[in-house]
Amino acid sequence: MSSSREVLAELLWAEKYRPRTLDEIVNQEEIVSRLKKFVEEKNMPHLLFAGPPGTGKTTAAHCLAHDLYGENYRQYMLELNASDERGIDVIRSKVKEFARTRVAANIPFKIVLLDEADNMTADAQQALRRLMEMYTATTRFILIANYPSKIIEPIQSRCAVFRFTPLKKEDVVSRLKWIADQEKVEYDLEALEAIYELSEGDMRRAINILQAAAALGKITVESVYKVVGLAHPREIRQMIQLALAGNFNEARDKLRELMINYGLSGLDVIKQVHREIFSQDIKLPDEYKIIIADLAGEIQFRLVEGADDEIQLNAFLARLAFIGKKLKS
Amino acid sequence: MPRKIPWIIKYRPKKIADVINQDSAKKQFIQWLESWLKGKPLKKAALLYGPAGCGKTSLVEAAANEYKLEVVEMNASDFRRKQDIERIAKVAATMRSLFARGKITLLDEVDGISGTADRGAIDAILHLLEVTRYPIVMTANDPWNQKLKPLRDASLMIAFKRLSERDVILVLKRICQAERLECEDNALREIARRSEGDLRSAINDLQAIAEGYGKVTITLVRELSAYRYREYAPFEALQKLFNAKYIWQAKAAITQTNIDYETMMIWVNEHIPTYYDDPEELARAFDALSRADVYMGRIRKSGSWDLLSYVFDMMGPGVAFARRIYKYKWKIFRSPKRLQLLAQTKRSREVREGIARALAPRLLTSKATVKRDVIPFLKIIFTNNPKYAAKIALGYELTEEMIKWLAGPKASQVLAYYKKYKR
Repeated sequence: MSSSREVLAELLWAEKYRPRTLDEIVNQEEIVSRLKKFVEEKNMPHLLFAGPPGTGKTTAAHCLAHDLYGENYRQYMLELNASDERGIDVIRSKVKEFARTRVAANIPFKIVLLDEADNMTADAQQALRRLMEMYTATTRFILIANYPSKIIEPIQSRCAVFRFTPLKKEDVVSRLKWIADQEKVEYDLEALEAIYELSEGDMRRAINILQAAAALGKITVESVYKVVGLAHPREIRQMIQLALAGNFNEARDKLRELMINYGLSGLDVIKQVHREIFSQDIKLPDEYKIIIADLAGEIQFRLVEGADDEIQLNAFLARLAFIGKKLKS
Repeated sequence: MPRKIPWIIKYRPKKIADVINQDSAKKQFIQWLESWLKGKPLKKAALLYGPAGCGKTSLVEAAANEYKLEVVEMNASDFRRKQDIERIAKVAATMRSLFARGKITLLDEVDGISGTADRGAIDAILHLLEVTRYPIVMTANDPWNQKLKPLRDASLMIAFKRLSERDVILVLKRICQAERLECEDNALREIARRSEGDLRSAINDLQAIAEGYGKVTITLVRELSAYRYREYAPFEALQKLFNAKYIWQAKAAITQTNIDYETMMIWVNEHIPTYYDDPEELARAFDALSRADVYMGRIRKSGSWDLLSYVFDMMGPGVAFARRIYKYKWKIFRSPKRLQLLAQTKRSREVREGIARALAPRLLTSKATVKRDVIPFLKIIFTNNPKYAAKIALGYELTEEMIKWLAGPKASQVLAYYKKYKR
C-alpha cells in the first residue's frame, strides 16, 4: 500500500533534483574541492557562504554535512533561518539545547547552519559572535548570506569565507535539460535559455519555472513567459497605473490585496515595482522614471532598515499620485 | 460622498438666549461688549474661562451674530515672529472691517500658548491689547497658569460654569427633535452623564451613534463607551489632529490620548486619505508619516527613546500641516480597513503560513522565500494540472484546506484525484 503511494507522490523538482553529496554539485568547482578537504580531514573552521540567491550555498552546506556524517546527517546539524526565527534569544536557546546533545562517533563537532544570516541586526550578530565562541569546542557554524558586507567584521574574521558566484548560462541550461530528460517532458532549447534569462542565475527559481511550465504541457518560450507572467501578480502594474492616474485609494486597495492575499512583503512589492517602472507599459517620460526609481530605492532602504511596509508604500503611492497630477497639468 | 455637517456647527447658538445656562457670564459679557460699542471699554479684553464645552466660544459667536460683528480668529502660533506680530497689531489698530462692520478678535485657547513656554506670544498679545481698536476675546480652560498672569491682569475675567446634566439633556433633546431622531430618554441621560458637562463631546457622541445606527438607545450608548477607549478614542484623536489649528494642538492630539503611538500610527496611516484628497496634501502627509515611521525604526534599533519626540512631530504636526488651507473637517467614524482586512483574511493567511511551514524545511529555505518564490509557481501547477497537483499534494501531505487554497477554482478536481491516489 505504502509503495503505490510513493510511486504516485510527486515532489517539487527543487527538492527532487537537489544534489545530495559534494560530488553531485556540478558547478562552483573551486569551492567544492576546498569543502572536500574538510571532509577528508574530518575538521573545519566556522564557514561563511556568501553569494546571490540560488547559487547553491545552502545545498553545499547540506552536502558537506552529508559527506561528513552520512545519510542521517540532519541529526547532527541544527538548521536555523534568521528570517524565520524570532530574534537572537530564540536562536541562543536553540543552540544551547542543541550543543547539549551527543556528537557523532568519528566527528568531534556538530554543525549549526544559520541561513539568511545577513537579515540579523548588528546587535544580534554581536550576540551570535559570542555564541560562536562559547560553543566553539563542540560546534561549527555555517553562516549563509547574500551580502557578506552585511555580516559584521568580527564574525567574518572568525570564518573561512566562501564566495559563490552567479551560475553560468551553460551550467543552468544543461541542468534544466538534464531534469527535463529525467522527467521525460518535451521542451524547446530556446525555452530553457529563456528560463535562464528570466531567473537571473537563480537555480531554484529556474527549476520552479521549469516545473510550472511543464505542468502546462510542452515547455516552450511561450509557456515559460506565461508562467512567469502568472507568477508575477498583475496587480503590481495595475497599482502603479492607478496611482499615476491619481486614484490613490484604489492603488492602496491593490497594495493591500498584494500584501494580504498574495502574501508579498513590502520588500517584494517595492522590488517588483522597480522592475515594472522601466517596462514599456508604464507610460512616463524617462526623467520621471528616474525620479520614481530613486524614490523606490529610498523606500527599499527604509524597509530593509525595518520600517513599516504599509506606511512606506502608501507614502510611495501618494508621491506617484502627486507626480501623476503634475504630469496631467 | 455627501459632506456631513458636524452637529456642533449645525446647532451652534445663533442668539445669546440660545446659549444654555451661563446667565451671569452672559450678563458680564454683554455689558463689556456694549461698553466697547459705546466707545468706552471697561477693559480692552475679556478672558472667558471654564471647562471644555460649556459655551465660551458659542457665546462669542452668538453675541457677534446679534450685534452684527465679525469674528476674526487669530492663530496663536502667528504670535511667534516679530513681523507677524506687527502685522497683526497694525491690522487690529487701524484697519476697518471690509464691510464697515465692527469686529471681535478671538484668541481661542490661550492657555495652550503657555504650554509651549512661549514668552514672546504673551508679550505680543499684550502689545495687541494696547493698540487695538476692537474688542478682544480670549478663551481658556485653565487661566491660572503663572505665565498667563499679565493677560489676566489686562482682561475682564468672565467665569463659565460647568454645565449640569439637565442642561446637556435639554440641548440633546432639541437636536433629536430637529433631526427627527428616535431617542430614549435614559440614553440621553447616559450621554449627558458621561459627558461631565462637556456639551461639545455630548453632541459629538449623539451624532456618532445617530449616524451609525439611525436611533439612540441606552444599549448603543453603553456600547459606544465600551469601545470608546479601544476604538472611539483614536477616532477622537484623529478629529483633533486633522482639525488642529496650532502645532501644539496637533502634537497634543498624538501625545495626550490613551492610545499608544504605534496604534495611533496605524490610524493616521488609514485616515490620511479620509481627510485629504488633494494629491499634494496626500503626498506631503504620507511623507511626514513615513518619516515618523523611520524615526520609530531608529528607536527600535538603537534604543534612543529621545527620538520619540521627532516621531510625534512628524505624525502630529507634520501630518496636520500637510494641508494647503485650513478647513474644519468632520468625518464619520470608521475603523482601519487594514485591521478589518487582516481579520477577514486571517484564515487564508494561516493556510499560506501552514504551506510555507510544510515546504520550507524540505526545500532548505525560509518560509518567507517559500511564500515569495515557490507558492506562486505551486499555484500555477494547482490551477492548471489537477492530476499532477494531486501527486504533489501527496508528496508533501498537504491538507484539504491547503489544496483548496492553492487550487482555487480547480479545487474539486484536485481533491478528487487526491482522494483517489490516497486510497
